[in-house]
Amino acid sequence: MKELILAFLGSMCPAILFSVEKRKMLWVGLGGSLGWGAFSLVEAATGQVILSTFAGAVMVGLYSEIMARALKTPATVFSISGIFPLVPGIGAYETAQLLVENKLSPATGKALETVASAGAIALGIMLMSALFKVAKRLAKRRKTA
Amino acid sequence: MKVNELMHVAVKAGEILIKSGAEIYRVEETLRRICSSYGVECEPYVLLSGIFLHAQEENGNPITVIKRIQGNLLHLHRIELVNSFSRDLQRTPLEYAAAIKRLEEIEAVSGFSLPVRLSMAGLTAFVYTLLFSGNALEGAVALILSIFAYYLRVKIAELGFFQFFEYFVAGVIAGAGALAGMKIFPEVNIYKIIIGAIMIFVPGVAITNGIKDALYGDVVSSLYRIAEAVFTATAIGAGVGIALSVGLRFV
Repeated sequence: MKELILAFLGSMCPAILFSVEKRKMLWVGLGGSLGWGAFSLVEAATGQVILSTFAGAVMVGLYSEIMARALKTPATVFSISGIFPLVPGIGAYETAQLLVENKLSPATGKALETVASAGAIALGIMLMSALFKVAKRLAKRRKTA
Repeated sequence: MKVNELMHVAVKAGEILIKSGAEIYRVEETLRRICSSYGVECEPYVLLSGIFLHAQEENGNPITVIKRIQGNLLHLHRIELVNSFSRDLQRTPLEYAAAIKRLEEIEAVSGFSLPVRLSMAGLTAFVYTLLFSGNALEGAVALILSIFAYYLRVKIAELGFFQFFEYFVAGVIAGAGALAGMKIFPEVNIYKIIIGAIMIFVPGVAITNGIKDALYGDVVSSLYRIAEAVFTATAIGAGVGIALSVGLRFV
């Protein structure tokens, strides 16, 4: 519970730095909580960070697409802020830090981990938006047929 | 609206989108949508560093507009406004003057005031220190450092140094401040403070967006974003590293 509240703040506060519209602040925070919740559930069950990150991103993507339709806002507004707790910024920093300390092989591992989790997040978000697009197209086709 | 006026409107909308950090595919889609609202077929080619837009005039003359664009900072509200602007055009095409005026209004939309942003920068640092299993004391030190670093970043950006300097400074502040924190409260974990303090500067969202662009097929812009993210991370890492290696000799 404590972590969910932290994740809520942890995506709402950066969203304010990204100049989100005032009315959507709380909705954006909720997305961060949901994503982090999915991440921690899967992580507790499997212990795999990349897989859990992907699950979190899918959750954020799903939430963003639903909210985008409900509030008539581009889904990016919710997804960019919602993934903030999951995003591997610290991994990128730690890679640079290890390079500065001349620890090359841990740095390579960290770099790969960073790219893998960024890829997992991007894929999760885009999978959801593609699903919604296809569903919309199918619905339209059924209507015209 | 004449075709060259229409292109001016479209390029301006695209410029706002890129500067607010929108994905490339969204910018191209918006340019196409704006042009097709007026029955003009256009060919947009968008990079993070510029827009190329091509269309044909009524008499068959080809025209191309090129716009160089520098810098992008996330501004979610502007992306949203340009998006609804282009959708409104589809329903009711505006005159040139009215369309430009709306875009100028969107450009003038500012974010939150500096005190609000500073406190949010601090709160973000506090929250992430706790989320990475730090304690409240470490969080509080990170909060102060983050506010200070964000303030300096805004001031440095106003002065106009080179792009990555502000990240280097943020790293130095985080490293030196965390050392000072350890000097005052010897029980704190210096790495947790640093991680919290630099959380708002690290390029996590940038890397993810870079990969997103690549998955949409915009490989050039993707590499641009990822390269920018790598330089940002290096600047922060170098800042922290220098502060720690110099500082540890004196502490």
